[in-house]
Amino acid sequence: MGGAHSSLGTGPTRRTLLAGGAAALLAGCGRRDPNALSFWATGYEGDYAPYLLTAFERATGIPVDRQSLPGTAAHEKFLTAFAGGSLPDVLMLPSGWVAEFAMIGAIAPVPDAALTGDTFPGVVRPLTWAGVAHAVPWSVGSQVQFYRRDLLAEVGYDAPPGDWDGWRTLGARLKRRHPDRFAMLMFLNWWDTLVTFAGQAGAYPLKDQETRGNFRTAEYREALGFYASLFADGYAPGVSSNEVQDPLAAFAQGWFALYPSGPTLLTDLHRRTAEIAPDRWGTARMPGPNGPGRVSAVNNSLAVSAATKRPEEAWALVRHLSSAESELHYQRLIGVLPARRSAWASPQLADPVLRPFAEQMEVPARLPTIVEWERIRAEVQLVAERVVRGGLTIDEGLRAMDARVDALLAKRRALVAAGRIA
Amino acid sequence: MAVTGKRARAVLLNALVAAITLAVLAPFAWMVTVSFMPRYESSRYPPPLWPSRWTWGNYYELLYRRLIDGAWFDYRIVPALGNSLVVATVSTLLGLLLTVPAGYAFAKLRFRGRERLLQLLIASLVVPGQVAMLPLFLIFREIGLVNTWPGLILPSLAGIFAILFVRQATLSIPDEMLDAARLDGAGELAIFRRVVLPLLAPVTVTLALFMFLGSWNDFLWPLIVLADQHRYTLPVAVAAISREHAADGELMMAAAVVTTLPVLLLFLALQRYYIGGLLGGSVKG
Amino acid sequence: MTRQERAAWLFAAPVLGIIALVFVLPTLLAFGLSLTDYSIYALADWSNLRFVGLGNFADLLSTPLFWRALRNTALFAALGVPMAIGASLFTALLLHDATVRWKPVWRVALFAPYVTGVVATAVVWRYVLNTRFGLVNWALAQVGVAPVDWLGDPRWSIPAILLFVTWKVFGYNMIVFTAALAAVPGELMEAARLDGAGWWTRFRHVTLPAIGPTLLLAAVMSVAGFLQIFAEPYVMTLGGPSQSTTTVLYFMFEEGFKWWNLGQASAVAFVLFVLILALTLVQTRIGKRYEWL
Repeated sequence: MGGAHSSLGTGPTRRTLLAGGAAALLAGCGRRDPNALSFWATGYEGDYAPYLLTAFERATGIPVDRQSLPGTAAHEKFLTAFAGGSLPDVLMLPSGWVAEFAMIGAIAPVPDAALTGDTFPGVVRPLTWAGVAHAVPWSVGSQVQFYRRDLLAEVGYDAPPGDWDGWRTLGARLKRRHPDRFAMLMFLNWWDTLVTFAGQAGAYPLKDQETRGNFRTAEYREALGFYASLFADGYAPGVSSNEVQDPLAAFAQGWFALYPSGPTLLTDLHRRTAEIAPDRWGTARMPGPNGPGRVSAVNNSLAVSAATKRPEEAWALVRHLSSAESELHYQRLIGVLPARRSAWASPQLADPVLRPFAEQMEVPARLPTIVEWERIRAEVQLVAERVVRGGLTIDEGLRAMDARVDALLAKRRALVAAGRIA
Repeated sequence: MAVTGKRARAVLLNALVAAITLAVLAPFAWMVTVSFMPRYESSRYPPPLWPSRWTWGNYYELLYRRLIDGAWFDYRIVPALGNSLVVATVSTLLGLLLTVPAGYAFAKLRFRGRERLLQLLIASLVVPGQVAMLPLFLIFREIGLVNTWPGLILPSLAGIFAILFVRQATLSIPDEMLDAARLDGAGELAIFRRVVLPLLAPVTVTLALFMFLGSWNDFLWPLIVLADQHRYTLPVAVAAISREHAADGELMMAAAVVTTLPVLLLFLALQRYYIGGLLGGSVKG
Repeated sequence: MTRQERAAWLFAAPVLGIIALVFVLPTLLAFGLSLTDYSIYALADWSNLRFVGLGNFADLLSTPLFWRALRNTALFAALGVPMAIGASLFTALLLHDATVRWKPVWRVALFAPYVTGVVATAVVWRYVLNTRFGLVNWALAQVGVAPVDWLGDPRWSIPAILLFVTWKVFGYNMIVFTAALAAVPGELMEAARLDGAGWWTRFRHVTLPAIGPTLLLAAVMSVAGFLQIFAEPYVMTLGGPSQSTTTVLYFMFEEGFKWWNLGQASAVAFVLFVLILALTLVQTRIGKRYEWL
């Protein structure tokens, strides 16, 4: 997770620092350009936004003031900004949050249907509220498995299997070959892999108009059982993300051979070819019970604040940022994959390594879009972690998930019963 | 024999104190040296204690707007520094203006309900400030103070500690002095300005120092009430960067230096008042 | 109204008014909020708000993370207060000894961590506690101890944060105890020494009773302070690993500002208030028994 900026060369002299320091102090006195549009984004998209914004500013003459938020603090920052009436004109939202922000009236409906056409099926559905799209898809990041070609070749595999039994067999062989290493890495505090398995198994997490947990089903039991068995048999280490400071280094060193992850891992891999050469890894779709199926994805979208004073300019910015060229530019810079289908025709995305992503994006997992989903996802993973660490059996875990989720949905249940929300 | 025993003890104790002080100051020293190291140099084992090459690069990256490949990048630390300075200064001045007269009034002026109010103030010290934070946000939202500087400064002006501190210090002023001035025909305001304030000067400096440092280091309320990065104070700005730049040790150390250096310098310059104030001030501190 | 009363109200009313607005009013509102189910649905539409009486408190009791937060906070206080008070007392005694020279220098140096802010020093300590490249593990390696995963191992995360917090706060009480030690009656000390009492006996029977009240006050304030730990987990560990450093205040912050369950969060704030109040009363009761108050 290196810094966002290129190396500095020889660096400045002390004189230039002092001179510039005075100028900077005078210039940067906390005043925002009143003519500027404001744009908030998280993560790499936020850090690298200036690259996209300069073209917009040059073309339209509208300055844009960008603010980069840390991803882990974004939810509270957006909510407190809305509550305080200081949401930016344009904001980047993970797709799972769009319905929530539309419900509270924070973001405006998309005025132009052309902005949300030209994308993949299932990408726009989570962005609709009351029948209208409220955000424009920006990037799509399905989960695929990255694998070490050489380690799989050692045990006689060209590519990882696409079904769960095959995965377990591969895991057993890898473990037999190197007992002190592992087959795959799945962080116990990240929800992505378990959600993928549940999606593959066809389990939908909620029922009764999304007011109750639906975890005690055969499909979910199968998914959780498969997930827990990988740890129980020693194929996956029982670790959280802060116990492994540098997972890419561990992947390069062969500590594990299969690494389910999203497209941003591609950027890190391209940057660190010294540690792991491109011919030593490949990508494939995540396995399902009977072959690849629906997986979880981290999709980002762009929305415009409902309270913006300059809606036309804000939507112009959205149009620019979600254009095929901008999305392809971002793909070059930080590896996030375009949501625009027309961008995928570009030769830049013809790399065979990207094919599993392209295939997977046609079949995303169907997930709830209610307000509480983000929290439910996190808490379900907490229970799953306890199951893996041995504190609960599968059945106890499923029952705990249902109980916890029912508690979280109590308010929603009351409102649905009163007919106040759909 | 007794003399060498005593000598050995003295040497031992002094050495112990020196060692402890070294250990306590070590994180600060490391913070400074790492901030001058080239990128990624501190991520080595054993950790380097001295830069191989002293460089201003981290400060440059942190503090300046840079043009890279045609786009402007800015961590906005310098505006945050300016914001912290302004907010802390205004907070301190307004705080003194509000609490010093009040502390004097509770100590030396007789008025109905004084003891009752005093008891309430002392009792309220038990209530943690965070209880009020959530509804305060809602209240400020209704009156439009969210993401504004008045909204940021106002809660810090409720200086219950400060009132009690000033009161404690004022109690030692002899009543006869004040009564004599009253007999001479001076008004209460004049007495306060000409008799009491000069006597309270050292206490006022101590209090000003407490308030300034308190405002400079304040984190939770600015985190909640400020949405606009341009208005961020220094701790909030540094916290925001620290989440996603966790691996950039040198950069974060430079940010830490920028945040702590002004405070440490101020403290060193006025430590006589700060520590003296603690040693001789109100028991509740 | 007498002249003094007029002046008094002129002097005191502004700040009392502000205290009423930003402290008293919100605190009362917090109790009111805790009886409603204010959530993000209420942010969308006021009429979604319902009065639920003690429902939030009942929900809290069945929220596992709340109990975890209580447990973590109790651990922080139980381990942290002795650590911090012990460190302060130890250094104060050390600096009180007649044979130590350059006392003002040591005092200023040891106090320095206290004046700096939490965020910057938490960032520094995150690196000091780094498993591979941190100073602490390097120092431990010099004496042959294997590296400890301070911030990544749920068993060591609380000690890690306590190490940092102790370093940061011990200077304050060190000064307070220094003042108290200076007030220990000298004749009593001399008399004890002449009677041949050793250092420990002198400490127990002369020093301790003399600084008793100060110790008690420091303990009361320390407990209240440790129960309100928030910024350190927020900057260093995000409440993890595995919620091992989620404190009551951290839980309240997330519940209130991340998920916008202000009703639930206010209930947590109320619980925290009751806890601090109860512990303060217990401590003052103990203090009264030893006649330290």
